[in-house]
Amino acid sequence: MQPYLKVENVTKHFHQIVANDNVSFDVMPSEIHCLLGENGAGKSTIAQCIYGFYHPEEGTIYVKGEPVSLTSPAAAIAVGIGMVHQHFVLVESMSVLENIVIGTEAATPILDFKSAEAKIRTICEFYDVDIDLHAKIWQLPVGKQQWVEILKALFLNVRLLIMDEPTAVLTPQESKRLFQIFHEMTSDGMSIILISHKMDEVMQSDRVTVLRRGKNVGTVTTADTSKSELTNMMVGREVELHVKRDAHEHGGELLKIKGLRAKNDFGTEKLSSIDITVHRGEIVGIAGVAGNGQGELFETLMGVRKATAGSVILDGEDITNSSPSNVQKQGMGYIPDDRFSAGLVGDFDVQSNLILGAHREAPFARGGFLNFSKIKEFAGKAIDEFEIKTPSETTISRTLSGGNAQKVIVAREFAQASKVLLANQPSRGLDVAVIEYMHERILEKRRAEFGVLMASEELEELLSLCDRVLVMFKGRIMGDFPTEGAEIETIGLLMAGQDVAPKQPEPV
Amino acid sequence: MSELFQETIIISILAATVRIATPLVLAALGELITERAGILNLGIEGTMLMSAFMAFVGTYVSGSFMVGILFAMLAGAFMSFIMVFMASTLKVEQVVTGLAMNMLAAGMSLYLYKAFLAGDTAGVFPTVDVMPTLTLPLLSDIPYVGPILFTQKALTYFAFLLVPMVWFFLYRTKWGLEIRCLGENPKVIDTKGMSVTARQYGAVIMGGVLVGLGGAFVTIGSVARFVPEITAGSGWLALVIVIAGNWRPMGIVMAALIFAFLNALQLHIQGVGVELPYQIFLALPYVMAIVLMVLKSGKGRSEEPARLAVPYFRGET
Amino acid sequence: MALTVEKRLTPSKKWMVLSIFIALGASAIVSAILLKFTGADVGMAYAALFDGAFGDTRAIGKTLIKATPIILTGIAVTVAFRAKIWNIGAEGQLFAGALASYWAYLLLGPGAGVYILPLIFLAGFIGGGLYGGLAGFLRSRFRINEVLTTVMLNYVIIFFMSFMLVSGPWRDPSSHFAQTPRIDKSVWLPKIMDGSKLHIGFLIAVVCAIAVYVMLTRSSLGYEIRAVGHNPRASKFKGINVGKTAILAMCISGGLAGLAGVTEVFGVAYRLKGEISHGYGFTGIIVAVLAVLNPLAVIFVAVFFGAFAVGGVVMQVATGVPSVITSAIEAIILLFFLAAGTLTHFQIVWKDKT
Repeated sequence: MQPYLKVENVTKHFHQIVANDNVSFDVMPSEIHCLLGENGAGKSTIAQCIYGFYHPEEGTIYVKGEPVSLTSPAAAIAVGIGMVHQHFVLVESMSVLENIVIGTEAATPILDFKSAEAKIRTICEFYDVDIDLHAKIWQLPVGKQQWVEILKALFLNVRLLIMDEPTAVLTPQESKRLFQIFHEMTSDGMSIILISHKMDEVMQSDRVTVLRRGKNVGTVTTADTSKSELTNMMVGREVELHVKRDAHEHGGELLKIKGLRAKNDFGTEKLSSIDITVHRGEIVGIAGVAGNGQGELFETLMGVRKATAGSVILDGEDITNSSPSNVQKQGMGYIPDDRFSAGLVGDFDVQSNLILGAHREAPFARGGFLNFSKIKEFAGKAIDEFEIKTPSETTISRTLSGGNAQKVIVAREFAQASKVLLANQPSRGLDVAVIEYMHERILEKRRAEFGVLMASEELEELLSLCDRVLVMFKGRIMGDFPTEGAEIETIGLLMAGQDVAPKQPEPV
Repeated sequence: MSELFQETIIISILAATVRIATPLVLAALGELITERAGILNLGIEGTMLMSAFMAFVGTYVSGSFMVGILFAMLAGAFMSFIMVFMASTLKVEQVVTGLAMNMLAAGMSLYLYKAFLAGDTAGVFPTVDVMPTLTLPLLSDIPYVGPILFTQKALTYFAFLLVPMVWFFLYRTKWGLEIRCLGENPKVIDTKGMSVTARQYGAVIMGGVLVGLGGAFVTIGSVARFVPEITAGSGWLALVIVIAGNWRPMGIVMAALIFAFLNALQLHIQGVGVELPYQIFLALPYVMAIVLMVLKSGKGRSEEPARLAVPYFRGET
Repeated sequence: MALTVEKRLTPSKKWMVLSIFIALGASAIVSAILLKFTGADVGMAYAALFDGAFGDTRAIGKTLIKATPIILTGIAVTVAFRAKIWNIGAEGQLFAGALASYWAYLLLGPGAGVYILPLIFLAGFIGGGLYGGLAGFLRSRFRINEVLTTVMLNYVIIFFMSFMLVSGPWRDPSSHFAQTPRIDKSVWLPKIMDGSKLHIGFLIAVVCAIAVYVMLTRSSLGYEIRAVGHNPRASKFKGINVGKTAILAMCISGGLAGLAGVTEVFGVAYRLKGEISHGYGFTGIIVAVLAVLNPLAVIFVAVFFGAFAVGGVVMQVATGVPSVITSAIEAIILLFFLAAGTLTHFQIVWKDKT
């Protein structure tokens, strides 16, 4: 049997960076082939080359044995290749039908969607998925939106589907359902290229190609390998999969959130009576797929979003609906999930970002004027201490890598916050090495009697780092229990919104 | 003040409203198509001015309105071509580019006018015949409605017919669907292998042609001569009208009629001899514009294109 | 082989400087074509242009006089644009300042002479500042597009001024024109250069430009203005009050433009009338963009534009070319500059297509 897709010696540059270096692999029909690698290893890049979005400088791509010139996505679609991007490419204000049909032959000059609608319904029935074709995208939950993305490809009869980090936004149950669909696709003869860094999913594939720093480190049959072996290949060394969290008695109540409610920008309630307590020296984790109110929770805590009800008490001070500057003064810091949108001013240099929030007070300012020597001094120290890789403190922040940008934010917040640290998806998109580093620093704060409240989609991270785990679903806390003895199955169900009585930890 | 309510005055005001709304509707519809494609063209004022000038030149030189209208459409297309080249291909800051276009048009039109058309003897200004009123038979005899709606110029009828046409184009045709997609999320178009740039050029130039028609009306459709700043902010009002109309053809027509009404009122008030200083009435449309924007700011779901004025780069989320 | 355009990692400084020269060069060519089009002698036109601007002390004086309000509107627009607030209302704010300063003059009486000038300037700054602040408030409070509000406000204040001057209380009864009576000589801005009419307003403008530069780069307020301009969301999270900062920036911006109104009324026209501004508010926008929002660079670009305006008049007299071509050329320079500016952000790459 010949491969459906063969990638041969593909090299792709971006400015000076070699994103793909002489990469070769092949994908058979009816195969789930996983592309595994750290951030920046080149997985998305090679996928975009296969999809015709990027044009490699060297190499050839073969489809069904014939070399193809993939000059654009249209060319890729024409040879049966489709792609579902990690960040959906949908028009929120238009309907499912419109999103699928636009740009296809079904979009006749005078629009008439009837036959397209019929075909799409057939596909949905085949995979047993229920979706309202006339609903607008913004009305649909994330899991359904992803199905629209998949439908776009299926509608065009693709035979090879590239899925870029598909389960990043799904609950464990939804992920399982998605993989069921994948198996139905492969039994129908389709191939799937799965880009993922989640080991559990990687182990469900047929073969894995591991990329590291743009090179193909090896292609292995999944059944013949193990998680740790793959991680080893991915990172190039032995990696401690879990941080060691020592036993630590937590202190008194530090952050008490009661009955908190808030709305989103469109007026819909996004937080429905949240109760959370964080103690001194405790790390509390919030499990849940992003989009269930975590962002709104942190925004409300930081004073950026209005709380419509409830209270937030920090070390005895009521900071409900206080201004962000006061919340900061009271000792709360925040590491946001989108670094360049909410965390840093990309056009400022590193040292200016390091003092953001402290730019009006001593020692960085006096009498309304900035004290540049003190700022430079602080920046020098921070860069050393946090190992921030930057040419100098006056480098423009936008040029920093994701990991280093995160370090700048961490350095800043660690310096400014004195009591509580909030973190939203702190390890998203970061290298294993940086993640390790971050976890160590957070544990340090725990030892220093800080309270830490963090939200993450990576259950493994939460289970290894946190003392307690809450589950957030549609703006509600669905469960609250110690990580000791917690079960992923239970957490998964809670993440999906199913009310399950938490399993009591086994008596020792 | 009671003279204002005489029947003839009212009919005259309403007829003037329809007439004055014409360039506003044309320009606003043109800008609607442009903005739906994601490009904010602040250069409408300048484009209208240039088109107004070229319409004048065309008619003056050839004696025919059709030539004038053609010149105006070409001017509109040319100005918007520069705009979309800067905005879509070069991906330059759209706000500043639009302003620069306005200044360019103001300078160029006045320069060309003075250089070629202003007579040697001071005081002799070239004039052209204004477009004729096209009285529709039968329809114009309907009491009240007839003189208001059916005793207008051909370009006016066209402008109002354009409203359902633009609606149909945007919502019932493939190109309209793609244009709307550009303004909301151009990456969708790009990932399907279609050219974002080509479609933006199409939409903006199409819009520019309509703006050109609006400009034509300001000169050859209304007055006999060309004077500096003859457009008097109509282009800016058209931008406000697009916002106030919530980016929908029907809303745009309503907003345009409101402004036109205020303007028509002001013209007649002067004749009737109301005690207030006339500057208040001149300023009224502009104040109204601000008030309308404030009122609209709270209400309902804005249909402002999500990626308006944001240049598209492949490879960025 | 194909030509593709790729975004640079960081803007290229080399090209930033080059693009200014490219813009000037390209504009010179286009202008030459325009001049030729009208049958003028290009060489003579350019010579007259230069001579009129820098030929002798008088000419230099005229150039700097013309540059004064442009410096002020240029830095006014710079402050607003740095906060990413598109203040197109510098023209209206200039008039607001002119009106306010004239009103202060009437109130204080000409008797005290030069000593009331600081108060006059203050009044102008406050007048322009309030008018700019109004647009800022509408933007922060109602989130309405400041481009449109400032443009609308431009028209409104011109009509208001027309009311005051045409039929209203400030009209000079002895004149045909819509203007106020002449301002008392004792309150005219003092002259600072023999052999010309150059007045102290020029020095005030330069000082303001330096002050704005220091404010933007070295003060906490300047830091916040720039942060809000680059990333209002991150600024909000870190305790900066975005709405207030925006209004403050607009007040400062309007105030500076208002000072331009003062210099024109008390230093050039010696009365309040519609013609005190020849589109200085709009020229200020072009100048700010060409100066890449650097207040110090604004001084030089403004002098260049002043030279242009002054030289243009002489050119018209000498060659018959309508002086209004200078405003067209200014716009062309801006467009070429913007276009050339893409070279700082993008590079053209030869690619081997596989």
